[in-house]
Amino acid sequence: MQSMKERIERLLLKVQKPARYIGGEVGSVVKDKSKVDVRFAFCFPDTYDVGMSHLGMKILYGLKNQRENWWCERCFMPEVDFAALLRENDIPLYALESLDPLSEFDFVGFTLQYELSYNNVLEMLDLAGIPVLAKQRGDDMPIVVGGGPCVCNPEPMTDFFDLFIIGEGEEVNIELLELYENMKRQGCTKLEFLKQAVKISGVYVPQFYDVTYNDDGTVSTITPNIEQAPAKVTKRVIADFDNVYYPDAFVVPFTQIVHDRAVVEVLRGCIRGCRFCQAGFIYRPFREKNIDTIKNETKCLCEQTGYEEVSLSSLSTSDHTRINDLLSSLVDYTDGEKINLALPSLRVDTFSDELLEKIASVRKSGLTFAPEAGTQRLRDVINKNLTEEEILRTCRTAFEGGYATVKLYFMLGLPDETLDDVAGIAQLAQKVVDLYFEVPKEKRGKGLQVSISTATFVPKPFTPFEFEPQDTPEQILEKQAHLLRNVTSKKIKVSTHMQKNSILEAVLARGDRRLGKVIYTAWKKGCYLDGWDEHFKFDKWMQAFDECGIDTKFYANRRRSYDEVAPWSHLDYLVSHEFFVRENKKAHAAQTTRNCKQGCSGCGIKKEYGGVYCGAKHNAQAVDSAN
Amino acid sequence: MAQNITPKLSTLQIEKFDYRAVYAKYGRARYISHLDFMRSMQRIIKRSRLPVWHTQGFNPHVYIMFPLALPLGTDSRVEIMDFALTEKLSNEQVREQLGEKCPEGIEIISVSQPVHKHTEIKYAEYDIKFKPSIPAQECLDKWNGFMSLEKIEIEKRTKKKTVNLVDIKPHITVISAQTQGEQVALQMRLPAGNDFNLNTNVVLDAFFERYGIEFETICTLRTKIALENGESFT
Ligand code: SF4
Repeated sequence: MQSMKERIERLLLKVQKPARYIGGEVGSVVKDKSKVDVRFAFCFPDTYDVGMSHLGMKILYGLKNQRENWWCERCFMPEVDFAALLRENDIPLYALESLDPLSEFDFVGFTLQYELSYNNVLEMLDLAGIPVLAKQRGDDMPIVVGGGPCVCNPEPMTDFFDLFIIGEGEEVNIELLELYENMKRQGCTKLEFLKQAVKISGVYVPQFYDVTYNDDGTVSTITPNIEQAPAKVTKRVIADFDNVYYPDAFVVPFTQIVHDRAVVEVLRGCIRGCRFCQAGFIYRPFREKNIDTIKNETKCLCEQTGYEEVSLSSLSTSDHTRINDLLSSLVDYTDGEKINLALPSLRVDTFSDELLEKIASVRKSGLTFAPEAGTQRLRDVINKNLTEEEILRTCRTAFEGGYATVKLYFMLGLPDETLDDVAGIAQLAQKVVDLYFEVPKEKRGKGLQVSISTATFVPKPFTPFEFEPQDTPEQILEKQAHLLRNVTSKKIKVSTHMQKNSILEAVLARGDRRLGKVIYTAWKKGCYLDGWDEHFKFDKWMQAFDECGIDTKFYANRRRSYDEVAPWSHLDYLVSHEFFVRENKKAHAAQTTRNCKQGCSGCGIKKEYGGVYCGAKHNAQAVDSAN
Repeated sequence: MAQNITPKLSTLQIEKFDYRAVYAKYGRARYISHLDFMRSMQRIIKRSRLPVWHTQGFNPHVYIMFPLALPLGTDSRVEIMDFALTEKLSNEQVREQLGEKCPEGIEIISVSQPVHKHTEIKYAEYDIKFKPSIPAQECLDKWNGFMSLEKIEIEKRTKKKTVNLVDIKPHITVISAQTQGEQVALQMRLPAGNDFNLNTNVVLDAFFERYGIEFETICTLRTKIALENGESFT
């Protein structure tokens, strides 16, 4: 009998970038499996290049491997060439550290980062020889768990999972594995374990809940069917964020991945309530790390990895309360070590000249803004507090500093959007062009390029827009055409995004349990790697919807009333329903809401969750755009 | 105000000490492409915290040179990497510090000062072993037949996207060819370096294709990087 390693190696020289399939990277953790009690396969349902860039995986990998008798390994979706060879040669999908098949693990965990990766979960389970349907998996099969932002509405995926982890994972993963270790020793069944697991806060076991529907197709009730299961599952939050576990080692890949650099998380949550942005709500409240903590973590990771670039991870780095001190202190270190400091989410409205200069020395690539909407009115609707004046002011500084490339990101299909708002996108870009030519020739850089990139708006759960219909494909096409008509300068490049996958995204994001059979059917028809344009099979998906008798419009294009029972209403992300309703109404009145730093708006999060700004005295009624 | 302008990195006065490392790449590291491998080495150097010399100019980066690429899938214990430090350290210390930071399948064999110039590399030698789909002896006979051909022409794409026929026969020197149980073991010398480079897989693919032979895993080991006169490159 050949070993797994030999069998795998025989295939490696036949595929693209084989180093992705054999492990052995610096920082990967290898243990003696005879001394390990709990084995966890952390699976990222996308390719290695994408998955290895994901911070959450690095955190939970390090966290679990801290325990001597637990072993967490990694697994990714193989590319089509390698997946075919695995099937041809009867090699089950395996984890990269031990090269053992996933079916030998206690847990197989998936992080659900985006809806279009759902079908990769099915494909990976199947490649591993694990039945995709939870009800078909016996006690000899691993417990399949899910986490990540998409599990704020995991309902379309409930057929395939045994358990979901709601919210932040650092504490609950430990509690769950400890419970498992004890129960495994006692020889308990999977069902017995799940019944105990639901007592841990943040653990959601879908089979313990029954869903009923109204005649009009909306959800009527969601009720627990065992007494241990809570009526509402509340997300987990790390209250003491400065002291939360952070890995002191990363797995350093051999092949180039999407974000190939050290990453340090500086803050979690966001103070800005942009109404379209799910991350801005599900990761609340805003918490941050001390400068010393950040600096130590940066130093430690740079030394361990040998990376030449470190990036600060957060939803909005400039909102750190001491951003200037933080950057000065980091730049001292990184400059000395000749390491590039990347700041991917620096907001333009706090982008001082001084700051610009500081990072200009390390980043000459170009300037990006996300105004999201073309007019001030529509930016007020979505509560994107970024004014035209701010954009133009920063552009002027940038042009004077020699920049000549500006990227502008927008969304089409936002609530209450008119064709004038769409034309506003072109007008804003034109103003940037005009501004460039106002800057003296000697100062500005050569070869101006302003690019407009538009995505289709997808309404998401746990946002003030969760009630909104998505624009139909026809409406979006009309808006795209209108935008192109209004762009006259050759300096402006417009790229619009494929509309079809945002329909699917919209359906899955706000879907219910009935979508499980559509996902299954589509997967059977060969739909996976849907996030990759070259593999996305929209027609197959539509066939699957047809065969299952499910109308995409019901999920994507219907306005939902405030009192409709949402498929995710048994999950509590701490921000209150009342707040979302209030924000939705304000959106339609084009009224903005101040950010948490300016003053709390009473979204419902309690002080004990550790938010920097939460719990200050406030009067929700008095809060309005005047602040 | 000229006196106020100090270059960010005043590397101009910094001394440069040249080093040449011989390293091994095998096992799991076999599957790292040359481009990826160069990046990995850069990180090994960075992790080693050696006082490494950076290139000068606007965008300074660690100076490393690889005179010869090792094809993906080929093992070696004779690969060369040149780099420089800003301090004179003992070769053994440099070897140790680098070696500590290498992942499985990468080893620093020795560190010394460069003797030859990169352009002096002319040949490389290889040990090749594979289990053919036909009996080993039969395969060996075919190989010997292959090697007694007048010409071995292969197709080579030019930059203009036309296909040229190139005769590789004169470039192949077989050092030994024998069977080892079910395997065929070959040793050969092929041109390497800047002027002309011939990879083992080009030769073997031509052989396998001509006789319709299939094979299970093929193990290729580069054993020597040599000068015109056959001596090792150091
Ligand atoms: S409770 Fe107030 S300060 Fe805290 S996240 Fe909600 S709105 Fe912001």
